[in-house]
Amino acid sequence: MSSRPKRLLLGLGNDILTDDAVGLVAVRALRERFGDTVDMVEAGESGLSILDHIEGYDQVLILDAMQCGQVEVGTVMEVCMDDMGMPSAPSPHFTGMPEMWELGKRLKLKLPEELRILAMEVAKPFVFGESLSEETAPAMPAFIEAAANILQEWEERCHA
Amino acid sequence: MNEESKQAWNEGQQRANASYGAKRKRITIDPITRLEGHGKIDIFMDEKGDVEKAYFQVPELRGFEIFSLGRPAEDMPQITSRICGVCPTAHHMASTKALDMLYSVEPTSAAKKLRELIYSTFMLEDHALHVYILGGPDFIVGPDAPAALRNVLGVVDKVGEEVGLKVISMRRRLREFIAYLGGKVIHPVFGLPGGVAKGINPADLDGFKQLADDGVAFAEFTLQVFNDIVLKNEEYVKLITSDAFTHKTHYMGLVDENNHVNFYDGKVRVVDTDGKEIAKFSEVEYLDNIAEHVEPWSYVKFTYLKKVGWNGFTEGNDSGVCCVAPLARLNAADGLATPKAQAALEQYFGMLGKPVHHTLANHWARAIEMLYAAERIQQLINDPEITSQDIRTIPTATPKRGIGIVEAPRGTLFHHYETDEKGILNMVNLIVATQNNAARMAMSVENAAKGLIHGGNVDEGMLNKVEMAFRAYDPCHACATHALPGQMPLVARVWNKDGEVIHTLRRDSQVVGKV
Repeated sequence: MSSRPKRLLLGLGNDILTDDAVGLVAVRALRERFGDTVDMVEAGESGLSILDHIEGYDQVLILDAMQCGQVEVGTVMEVCMDDMGMPSAPSPHFTGMPEMWELGKRLKLKLPEELRILAMEVAKPFVFGESLSEETAPAMPAFIEAAANILQEWEERCHA
Repeated sequence: MNEESKQAWNEGQQRANASYGAKRKRITIDPITRLEGHGKIDIFMDEKGDVEKAYFQVPELRGFEIFSLGRPAEDMPQITSRICGVCPTAHHMASTKALDMLYSVEPTSAAKKLRELIYSTFMLEDHALHVYILGGPDFIVGPDAPAALRNVLGVVDKVGEEVGLKVISMRRRLREFIAYLGGKVIHPVFGLPGGVAKGINPADLDGFKQLADDGVAFAEFTLQVFNDIVLKNEEYVKLITSDAFTHKTHYMGLVDENNHVNFYDGKVRVVDTDGKEIAKFSEVEYLDNIAEHVEPWSYVKFTYLKKVGWNGFTEGNDSGVCCVAPLARLNAADGLATPKAQAALEQYFGMLGKPVHHTLANHWARAIEMLYAAERIQQLINDPEITSQDIRTIPTATPKRGIGIVEAPRGTLFHHYETDEKGILNMVNLIVATQNNAARMAMSVENAAKGLIHGGNVDEGMLNKVEMAFRAYDPCHACATHALPGQMPLVARVWNKDGEVIHTLRRDSQVVGKV
C-alpha cells in the first residue's frame, strides 16, 4: 500500500455564497467514502494559494462551481487544463490557476502528474446564503458521482 | 447568470446603450485578465472613431446585509472574512475592531501589537502578489509586450527563476505565520472583542524574527527591481506621468498620531488635490464624511466626500471624488514610520512631487508599502511585549454600535454594525476599498481610452493600456463585485447525466468585438 500515489480532492468555493459552495459540498459528501485514501481539502482561495495546496501530490481532483451560461444548470463539465489557454478561469476561485500551473512547471515545483477538474454549472453563485438553490441542489448527486468515479478509477488503477 | 441578475444586468446595459445612441461602434474587452474577479469595459466610439464614453462595469454580490441580520455580532469576524478569498484578513480585522467598539472594550497593549503584526504580514503578502503576478506583467514585462508574454511567466523570464521561487517561498512563509496565530488564512480565528485568541510562544520567536529579516530583504529587493526595470526606463516613466493616466482628486488613508501611514489603526485623513488636509475623522464620524452615489449603468455605489458633494466624475477640489489605496495612502500621510521605507518615500516624492496624481504610480507606492510592512513586522516581532500572554480584555458592557476601519491593501475599509442589547445584529453596513476607488477608477478607464484611442484605430496594445488604468488600483471585485458570469474563457467538455462527453466548448481567452 505504500506505493499508493498521494492523492488530493480539492473543493473550491465559498460556503456563504449559495451555489458557489457545490465543490465544498461534494468534498464533504465524499469524505467518508474516500477519506482513507485521499486527502480532502476545502478552499476558497485562488491562484497561487491553489498551487500551494496541490504541490507535492501525484493526483489531484478539483471540484468547482461555474457559470458559463451556455449549458443547463447542473451540467458537469471536465475542464481541460492543457486546452484552457493562459488567462482563463471557470470561476473566481480558479482565477489565475492555468497561469500558476505554468509557473509551477517553469519553476520545477513538484506538480501532480494528473490534475483533473470537474465543474458544475450552477444557478446562484452571487447571492449570500448557506444552502444550495432549488435549481442546483437536485444535480448534486450526479456531480458527487462524477467525482467518485474518478477517485474510484484512480484507486482501481493502482490495484491493477 | 440567474434570471434576476441577468435582468438587472440587461437593464443596466440597455440604459447605458440607450444614452449613447445607435450609431456608435462598440468594443468589448472581455474578460479582464489577471484580476481576482472579472469586470467588463465598454468603450463607445463616435462616427470618427474617437472615444465618446467608456464604462467600467461589474456585477456585484448581493444580499450580505440580509444574510447578516439576526446573527450574533461576534460571528462577524468569521463571516466577513469569508466574503472574499483575497483579503480575508482585512475584513477580519475591520470586523474585530468594530466589535471592540460594540462592546466598549479596549484591547490590551500586547493584543494591539499582535493584531498589527498579523495585519502587516498580510499586507506584505498581498502586495507581493500584486507586484509580481497581477500588476507586475504590465511593468516588469512591459506595457507593449505581446499579450502572450504579459503574464507571470513573462515576469519570470525577465527577473529569473530564482526570483520566482523567492516570491513563492516568501509568500508561503508569510501565510504560515498568519496561520500560526489565526488558523486558516481564509477563515481566521484570531481577533476577539478586546484582544486576540492566541499569542506567540517565546520558543517560536527566533524563526519569526528570521522571517521578518527576510521580509525586509525581499521588499528591498522588490524596490530594486522596480528601480532597475521601471524607473531607469524613460518610456515607462513617460507613461506613468502621461496625461492619460493622471487625475487630480482627493486622497484618503488612515494615519497615526504623527500623521504617518498606519494600516491597522488611527484616524482617516483626507487631503485635497494640493495635498492640504481637509478632514481627519474617527470611526464614529465616518457617516458625516462619506456618502454613496448611484449610477444607472453600474452596480457599484460610488463613495464620495459628503462635505464636498457629488459633482460627477470630475477632478479638482470641487469634486467629492476621493481616491484610496497605496497612491492615496502615501499622499494622505506626512510620512512612513520606518526608516528604509521613509527613504524610499522621499525618493518617490522627490521624483514625482507631492501629492502624486499619476495612477500608474500605484505600483511604485505599493512596493514602498511592502517595505514599510516588512519593517513594521520587524519592529513588532522584536518588541519585548510581543510574547506577552496578556492578550485579552474581557468585555462586560452592553453592545449597541460598533464601527471598525482598517486600510485594506486596496484602500480604506469600513465595517459598521448595530445590535440589540443581546448583541444580535439589526444593522450592517460595509464600505469596501474597491468601492471607495470606484469613481476614480471609472474616470481612469475613460481617460485612458480617450487619450489612447483615436480615429477608430484600436489594437491589442492600446486596449491593454486601457486595462492598465484600472489594474494599477488592484481592484478586487470579489467583495465589491464578483465574476462576470458567462464571459469567462474556458475550454470544457460537456458531460451528460450518464457521465459521457457530449460536447466540447471553447471560449477564447480574450475577445475583442465590434458591434
